[in-house]
Amino acid sequence: MFKFAPYLLKTLWRHRGRTMLTVSGSAVALFVFCFVGSVQEGMDRLTSQSDSTLIVFQANKFCPATSHLPQDYDQIIGKMPGVQEVVPIQVFTNNCRASLDVVVFYGVPAEKIQKIRDFDLIEGSWDEFESNQDAGIVGESVARRRNLKLGTKFSVGEVKVTVAGIFNSSDRSEEDYVYTHLDFLQRTPGMNLVGTVTQHEVVLDDSADAVKTSSLIDDEFRAGPVETDTRTKGVFQASSLADLVELIELSHYLGYACIGLMTMLISTTTFMAVQDRIKEHSVLQTLGFSDSIVFALVLAESVLISVGGGVVGTGVAMLTLAGSGLSVGAEAVTIAFSPSVGLALTGLVGSLAVGIAAGVLPAVAAARADIINGLRQA
Amino acid sequence: MLIEIRNLTKSFQKGDETITPLRDVSLDIDEGEFVSLMGPSGTGKSTLLNQIAGIDKPTSGTIAVNETEITTISRSRLAKWRAANVGYIFQTHNLIPVLTAYENVELPLLLLPFNRAERQRRVQIALEAVELLDRANHYPRQLSGGQEQRVGIARAIVTDPKVVVADEPTGDLDSATSSHILDLLKRLNSELGTTLLMVTHDADAAATAGRQLRLDDGRLIDESRQKDELSLAVPEGNAHV
Ligand SMILES: Nc1ncnc2c1ncn2[C@@H]1O[C@H](COP(=O)(O)OP(=O)(O)O)[C@@H](O)[C@H]1O
Ligand SMILES: [Mg+2]
Repeated sequence: MFKFAPYLLKTLWRHRGRTMLTVSGSAVALFVFCFVGSVQEGMDRLTSQSDSTLIVFQANKFCPATSHLPQDYDQIIGKMPGVQEVVPIQVFTNNCRASLDVVVFYGVPAEKIQKIRDFDLIEGSWDEFESNQDAGIVGESVARRRNLKLGTKFSVGEVKVTVAGIFNSSDRSEEDYVYTHLDFLQRTPGMNLVGTVTQHEVVLDDSADAVKTSSLIDDEFRAGPVETDTRTKGVFQASSLADLVELIELSHYLGYACIGLMTMLISTTTFMAVQDRIKEHSVLQTLGFSDSIVFALVLAESVLISVGGGVVGTGVAMLTLAGSGLSVGAEAVTIAFSPSVGLALTGLVGSLAVGIAAGVLPAVAAARADIINGLRQA
Repeated sequence: MLIEIRNLTKSFQKGDETITPLRDVSLDIDEGEFVSLMGPSGTGKSTLLNQIAGIDKPTSGTIAVNETEITTISRSRLAKWRAANVGYIFQTHNLIPVLTAYENVELPLLLLPFNRAERQRRVQIALEAVELLDRANHYPRQLSGGQEQRVGIARAIVTDPKVVVADEPTGDLDSATSSHILDLLKRLNSELGTTLLMVTHDADAAATAGRQLRLDDGRLIDESRQKDELSLAVPEGNAHV
């Protein structure tokens, strides 16, 4: 087949306008497919997190702004069997609704951050953070999105923070958060939050059973002073994002629709290419090209176009996802749009499959065409 | 005998009508012969040529080329057979426009088990035979009509096929260019021993061939043999008188 490469490539180049348009169309389709796929992946990552972390929230509350638990619940929970660590967290967000520009502040006792998160400071220092009350460490995507540098002071509402560090994390959605000192966030002007927190994050050891421990915690506080609702972090995040889940499912179908559209587009182009060359294919067959070679040539044309579009679309999508730090969030939980090797491979393999699917019918038509009729064409 | 055609009939169905351009045609062609085929337009000259070239199948009858019966073999084996045994020269050269003269001539070789060096050697010989070695890297649109036809001829002979068929190879050319092409074909036949079957409209062109056939109303008439027979028949006839 390699021997026919000059013929193949020159044929595509001859109709470069058409070829480029089809490649571009396919690239757009694959870009959308990858983008939507990354949102889906981001959501799956959030909702399928391990069962070893629980979130204790105020019962019947949904937005972090309305959940208020006594901070000293951590003492009681900390003594329960199987509990390794309890971290009281004050959450502050600029937007409880689903939004593309959510900024989420997590106020956490400074010394506990490194115990429960695997953050890597790429700029700044832990000392700087721990020794300054108004200091915050910001995730890399927030920093990029809001153009935050070390030492920058920035504010959302009444919260005014100085950037003491920028971190990245193996959990890409963490990079959409800003971590501050707990008591700093509790003392935000206009809010009377000292002594209360939004939630407690409970890290379990290997012996603990998530469901049993959750009931244990909720039973403990059923009688008050504030009733709790404890779930695993995955379930908690899934319910926070409930509004978005259906939308994301829907957009997933949009991704498949793009693939369908791309198949039609390439198939149309390939059919046109075959119809333009009925006589040429008859000439080739007269020279001794067999049905299978003609079939393979047409199929290869279709595959080259779709894989070309696939490489461009997937490439641009991965670069965009890596560079833009986009995310969507609701109720202080954000879904990060991030690139992944799996997604890139899906895109490339998908484009190969599209090329084959789109090329089969035109290729059969070309291979089966009557030689004499083809030669008699003007 | 290189080509043996026996009782060949070919019909086409055009709606309710059946056209039978070839009716019970038989023909033998020897290796190394240059045969021309004349006849009015629409009498089935191309149809006959296409049966011999193995790109169309007869309604009935047999064709053996170099002792291979080609009317009964499968479409895919027929394609392989064509690649190795037939050179086809079209009326309009039918070169692939995106390929250079060199690449056009090389095309049939890609189907045969030749390595790159062997292909190159053969393409050069073929282009040299049609005196176009200096135009190897030109595209068809950069060549004159006569040059394009010569590239078409080079493509037909490059595999050194058993038989070369030409369907009105000078039909689209002016008379000076035509005679150049005819000289070339004659030389291929005499110098390389290529067996040639050429369809033509032009009596002068037909006269270039060693043997002239005429197709009329579905029947094949061997004009050269008829002349021989006539010249023999006359004295015999006289004897009768
Ligand atoms: N594929 C075909 N389908 C229908 N009719 C055909 C086909 N090929 C040839 N014919 C008919 O057969 C007759 C002979 O055609 P052809 O061999 O091309 O004639 P020639 O080459 O002598 O001019 C014509 O009447 C033509 O219309
Ligand atoms: Mg004809």
